[in-house]
Formats: sequence, C-alpha cells, structure tokens
Amino acid sequence: MMNKNIWAAMAFAAGAVCLAPQAAMAGKSNDTLTWATASEVDTIDLYYQNLREVVIMAHQMCDTLMHRDPRTGEYKPLLAESFKWVDDKTLEFKLRHGVKFHNGKELNAEDVAYTFNHARKPDSGVVTRLLVDWIENVEVVSPDTVRFKAKAPTPAAIEYLSGITPVYPKGHYDNAPSVPGAAGKMRRDYGAVVPMCTGPYKVKEFKPGSSVTLVKNTDYFKDSPKGQPSIGTLVYRTIPDTETQVAELVTGGLDWIWGVPPENAKQLASMENVTVKAAPTTRISFLSLDAAGRSGDTPMKKQQVREAIAYAIDRKAISHDLVGEGSEPLVSMCYPAQFGCSTDVKDYPYNPQKAKDLLKEAGFPDGFEIPLYAYRDRPYTEAVANYLRAVGIKTDLRFLQWKALRGPLQEGKVAMAHLSWGSQGVLDASASVSNYFEGSVDDYARDEEVKKWLDAADSTIDPNKRKELYGKALKKIADKAYFVPLFSYGRTYAFNKELDIPVTPDELAHFYLAKWK
Amino acid sequence: MLRFLVRRLLMTVLVVAVTSVVAFSLVHLSGDPAAAMAGEGASPADVESVRKTYGFDRPLPEQYVTWLKRVFEGDFGRSHYLRASVAQVLADHAPITITLGALAIAFAVLLSIPLGVLAALYPNTLVDRLAVGLAVGGQAVPSFLFALLLIYIFGVTLRVLPISGSGSWAHFVLPAIALGYYATPAIMRLTRSGMLDALQSDHVRTARAYGLPAWRVIIKHALRHAMIPVVSLIAVQLGFMLGGSIVIETVFALKGVGYLAWQSIQRSDIEVIQAILLLIAAAYALLTLAADVLNGAIDPRIRVG
Repeated sequence: MMNKNIWAAMAFAAGAVCLAPQAAMAGKSNDTLTWATASEVDTIDLYYQNLREVVIMAHQMCDTLMHRDPRTGEYKPLLAESFKWVDDKTLEFKLRHGVKFHNGKELNAEDVAYTFNHARKPDSGVVTRLLVDWIENVEVVSPDTVRFKAKAPTPAAIEYLSGITPVYPKGHYDNAPSVPGAAGKMRRDYGAVVPMCTGPYKVKEFKPGSSVTLVKNTDYFKDSPKGQPSIGTLVYRTIPDTETQVAELVTGGLDWIWGVPPENAKQLASMENVTVKAAPTTRISFLSLDAAGRSGDTPMKKQQVREAIAYAIDRKAISHDLVGEGSEPLVSMCYPAQFGCSTDVKDYPYNPQKAKDLLKEAGFPDGFEIPLYAYRDRPYTEAVANYLRAVGIKTDLRFLQWKALRGPLQEGKVAMAHLSWGSQGVLDASASVSNYFEGSVDDYARDEEVKKWLDAADSTIDPNKRKELYGKALKKIADKAYFVPLFSYGRTYAFNKELDIPVTPDELAHFYLAKWK
Repeated sequence: MLRFLVRRLLMTVLVVAVTSVVAFSLVHLSGDPAAAMAGEGASPADVESVRKTYGFDRPLPEQYVTWLKRVFEGDFGRSHYLRASVAQVLADHAPITITLGALAIAFAVLLSIPLGVLAALYPNTLVDRLAVGLAVGGQAVPSFLFALLLIYIFGVTLRVLPISGSGSWAHFVLPAIALGYYATPAIMRLTRSGMLDALQSDHVRTARAYGLPAWRVIIKHALRHAMIPVVSLIAVQLGFMLGGSIVIETVFALKGVGYLAWQSIQRSDIEVIQAILLLIAAAYALLTLAADVLNGAIDPRIRVG
C-alpha cells in the first residue's frame, strides 16, 4: 500500500514539473527583449548573410563609418568624425577617437582598410556585392585617416557605408575555418567567424539556426549618434509559424514580431498588451514586360498593349485591400524614399475600358493569352491575373520558386513576369531603377537612351544633376510603359505595449533606441 | 528465419538506394541550386562563382558518385547554409524528432488500443460510436489546425503549457499529442476489427469456457492475437511520425529533422536533404523490417510465407 502511494506521489510530482509553465524569458521584469521571426540565421556576419534579421542584428552589434538616422533619414558620421570627397573617385574619412571594439581594442584606420580590402576582393564570398564592388582600394593615410579609392565616381558611396557595412578589427578573418569545397579543394568559410564590432550591443551567445543573444555594451562611446542602449539583453529566436509567434506575443513569451498578416493585425491591435504599427519598406512589386522582344515576337512589344496592362490593374485596391497597411501604390519604377526616385511621371489610373480600347487599337480586340511568371506572394499575382482577365488578357500563371524562375528570366525567355525587388535596403535609385534598365540580364526594355541617362546618374557626384537624370529616365520608362510598377510592400510590427520603440520606414528594428515604458 | 532476415535486409538496402537516387535527381530538377544559394540580388557572375565553389557545374552523375563515395567513408558532407558538417547538423536535430516521434506514438498507442478494445467489446453501441468518433476525429481535423487549437486552449487560454521551442519536457506535450492524434484512427480501427475477429474465434471461446477471468481472456488471448497486424501498423506509423512531422515541428518551432528537411529544400542545401532522405528511408525500411521480424516471432506462419 505504502509503495503504491509513493509511486502515485512521484508520478504526480513528475507531472507537476512537466506542466509548470516556464518562467517567461521575455519582458520588462527581467530587462530582456525577445524578438522572433521565421528565418533561420546561419551567420550574423552581414557581409555573409543579407537576411533582414541579420541587418537588424548588425545595427545593434556593429557600427559603420556613417549612420543614417532612421527617424529623419539624415546621414551622420558614426565611426567617422567627418568625410570629404577629395576628387570624384576619392573619399576620405577622419575617424573618431576613443572608439573601442568589444574586445577592448581601439579602432584605427588599419581596421577600416582591412575590413573593406577583405570584402572588396572578388573571392571574398561577400553576398551583397553592390555594397563593395565600387571600391578599387582602401588606403591608410594616418592612424585616424583612411581613403577609399572608387573604380568610378560613386555618389551612392555614403549610403553604402551607412549601417550596412560594419567595420571589424584588423585580422578579424584570420581564424576563419577551412572547409571542403568543390572537387576536393578546401575553401575558407569567412561567414563562420562571429563578428567583433564596436556597436551598442555585444554578442553573448549565438546558436546557428536557433537563437542569438546580445547584451548591452556598457562601454559604448558616449557621443554616438545612435545614442546609448537602454535595454539590457536582446534575444532573437526563430519561430517559423506566424500563428505561434502571435500566441507567444499575446502570452508574454515574445516582445516583438513583424510580418503580421492583415487578417491578424486588427485582432492583435484589440489586445490590451500589444501595440500594432505598420510602416513602408523598400520592397517594390511590379510587372516586367518584354518590350524589347527578347523572348520573341509577343504582344508585349506593342506600347498600346503595355499601356493597356497598366490601365487594367487597380493598384490602389491591391495595395490597400490586399497587401494591407504600410503598402502604397506606385507610379514610378523605384521606391519613393530613394534618392532620385521621381514620382513626377505619367500615371495610369485604373480604367478597364481604356485598357480594352487600347488592346483593340493594338490589334487584339479579343485579347490574347500569355504565360505570367511569378515567384512571390501568389495571392497578389492572382489579383493581377484577375484584373488582366477582365480586359481580355488570359494569363497562364506559372508560379515557380526563385531558383527555378531566375534562369529563364535572366536568359530573356519570359515575356511577362510579376516580380519584386527590395533594393537590398539601399535608399538610392541606383539600387532600383538602374538594376532593371541599365542593360543587365534583367533589362527587358533595352532602351539605349534610358541606359545612358542612368549610367550618368549612377556616376555623377552632383546631387541635383543626378536627380535630373533619374527623373528623365523614369519619365521615359513610364511614358513607354516598359514595366508596370504596382505597389510597395508594407510591414506590420506588433510588440509588447510596455516597449517604447520607433517604427521606421527602413524595414528594420532599432532596438538600441528602445526603452521600457 | 535466417533466409527470411537476409531477404528482408536486401530489400531494405534496395529501397534506401532507390530513394537516394530519386531524391538527388528531384532536388536538381526543382531549380538551379546555385541560384537559390546566391539569392535574389545575385548577379550572373555571383551565381557562376557559387556554382564553381560548390561543384554544381559538374555532371549530375559525377556529383552523385562523389557524394556516394564520401557517404561510404562516413562523411555526409557539409551544410552550406548552416556552416557545419551534416553529421553535426543531424546530431543537433535528430534527438528532437526522435523524442517527438516516440512520445507521439506512445500517446497514439495509449489512446487508440484501449479505445479499440472498448469498441470491440461493445460493438455497435454508443460506446463503440464514441470511441470510433474520438479516434476518427484525428484523421478528420488537419494536424496544423488541431495543433493551433491545442496552442489556443493550453497555451493562450489556460497558460499551462509552453507554446514553442524545445527547452523542457513540457515543450513536447502539445506537439506529441498533435502528432500522435493523427495516428490514432488507423491503430484504433485495426485493433477494433482484430479484436472483433479474435473475440469470435474458437480459442477465445474455449478460454471463456474454461472459466478464465474476463480480463485475462481479453488481454492474453484475444488482444495478443489481434495485435499482430497492429504491430506492423505501429511501426509504419512511427516511421511516419519521424519523417512526417514537418507541420507539427514548424507550428511548435521545434528544430527537428522534418523542419530541417523542409528548410533545406527551400535553401537547396543538397547534402543535408540527401542525408535526411537517406536517414528517413533507412528508418522507415528498418522499422518495417523490425515489424516483419516481430510478427515472425509472434506468428511462425509468416516466417515461411
């Protein structure tokens, strides 16, 4: 009898241990901000992983030569004290004194030169080449002065050096592991080195694919334009399912999530412990039309057909009703907050009758059939297909993964595609419109005049001249309806009501600006 | 018995080999792995360099043979995404899936066998209908929905169980129920029909006539007989739990093998996909083999046939 009771008691105790709710890891009470997204993070080195999550982490851990204030958009020197263009291709930085890496070493010009001379090398394996490909060489002038030599005049350099190109200490990658590459050869895995930075937070623990823990850098330099960090610990977790993220947020297991779908946003906003806010992002959605006839003799070669497509789609309705808060309809082939992105171009307001008339003029009174390729956000593509069907254009939707679509698209085999582009977060029109109209594999217009203007705009230092050139190019792109810009993506953020954090239009979270209320 | 074992073992090896070849070709057919790895913003030159670095430029059969050779040397390769050896990656993910699978099948067995017995003892009564209804519910409700319901009830409303992650035993309770519930209808119905047959068989009637206690007749004579097909089914279901827990692992943020497989397919992390498929195919085949052997032990007639 005694025996039985002991067993029962033990079973009960075991059950109680199992069932006891875990002490919540998140929240104000233990000064820990826990945030989660669906991505698995393999490395937290921004040069080797351009996931938005890693960009966010880099902003907390690392500093860059320049800083773009996320609230005002103003560029301020960060690791630099000042900068000047010595000539069209030479950019000189004076470095700030007394800045220390998390290992205690003081920052100097050697570190800056080392970082960028590593990254610029074609075999460095850096993922976002755009940010470093412009660099010919970086030279140390004196311990606190460093010079960037550009391959060509690069007005966007200041943008490239703001927030997205962290500075590491000299020799940072020396201990990168060698791993087996192709054909039995070994290669260096630089991305496996945990970043050593100067930023407001330092790495405490990194579990690839699962979590990243950062703690406040109490030695952060006093006059940083980023300010001083307030919250003690930042924990990042991967939670793949949105519903699960929402459940964790509501019950206090998480403090911050993003990408809340419109159908959940309203419901969440009504919760008393959650704040929901939407903000725009740099990702734009558009139709790529084969005006140049790269894929053969398709209806897309006719301007009236392309105009008809532009008139046929109700961009406002898709943007506001389907994509949701934070999204805006677009008229121009760039993100409006980018430098040089002129929106003073021909607009094609929703007008299905006009679209039908134009199709008739073009010789397609009964419309036509055409394959429509897409790879992202199927519901948005289906909405586009429905609008096109309404004016007689029957699309055969071919929804592929990016890795399957890329080949045919860049080989010039796709007459019509619904694409999106995030400009790699760069707030300069050279990262958007130039990507598609400068004669690259993605250029389906092949307009020499547009290409000439864009080439000039990308390599002119004078800001006013640049604006004028981008304006001309964007105007012609709209007039000819080469591509059909649709909408910019928004993001909905949801967070603990006790958290005071600015929601910014750069698709990032600046936790170093966050405080508990 | 030995010949039986050898034959089954050879079949197992064959199944695993075929799976591996098919999987290898499918991964390559689903799109350019170099493009997937290089990402959306990559230039053609970037993609080319990725192709060279990882050897995707070589002919497929050559890539396959290279891979196979290394597997025989015990080297499963390296995850290009997670920056670790595949063996390490699997060692990190497998315990979670094995724990989840074992708990899920335990839950399924503990729920469905008593239900099956109960239903067979009172056939076509309210008890039978309730038992069948409870079990079939597992098949009718999609697992992601059932999982979210569990989260809503126990995680959000009652707040007695953690919702996501794998930090403690408590983290496995909801996922194991969600996953195991899916296996209950099949096991329950097979138990029920097996028991119905067994209860009407001569030897059970004889046992009853001897005046043995009812529970002894049910458990020792009837259930044992009814369990033969059920054992095979449980083994197959366990294979299914181990290989098919992608949805459950995703919903509960468990970093298991199913979730890893799904992520790796999206990332074209070929060596990881290959290793997982090999592992799951092997687990499936071995479990089937184990079931065959077990059945052979329970019922000698199977060994001959």
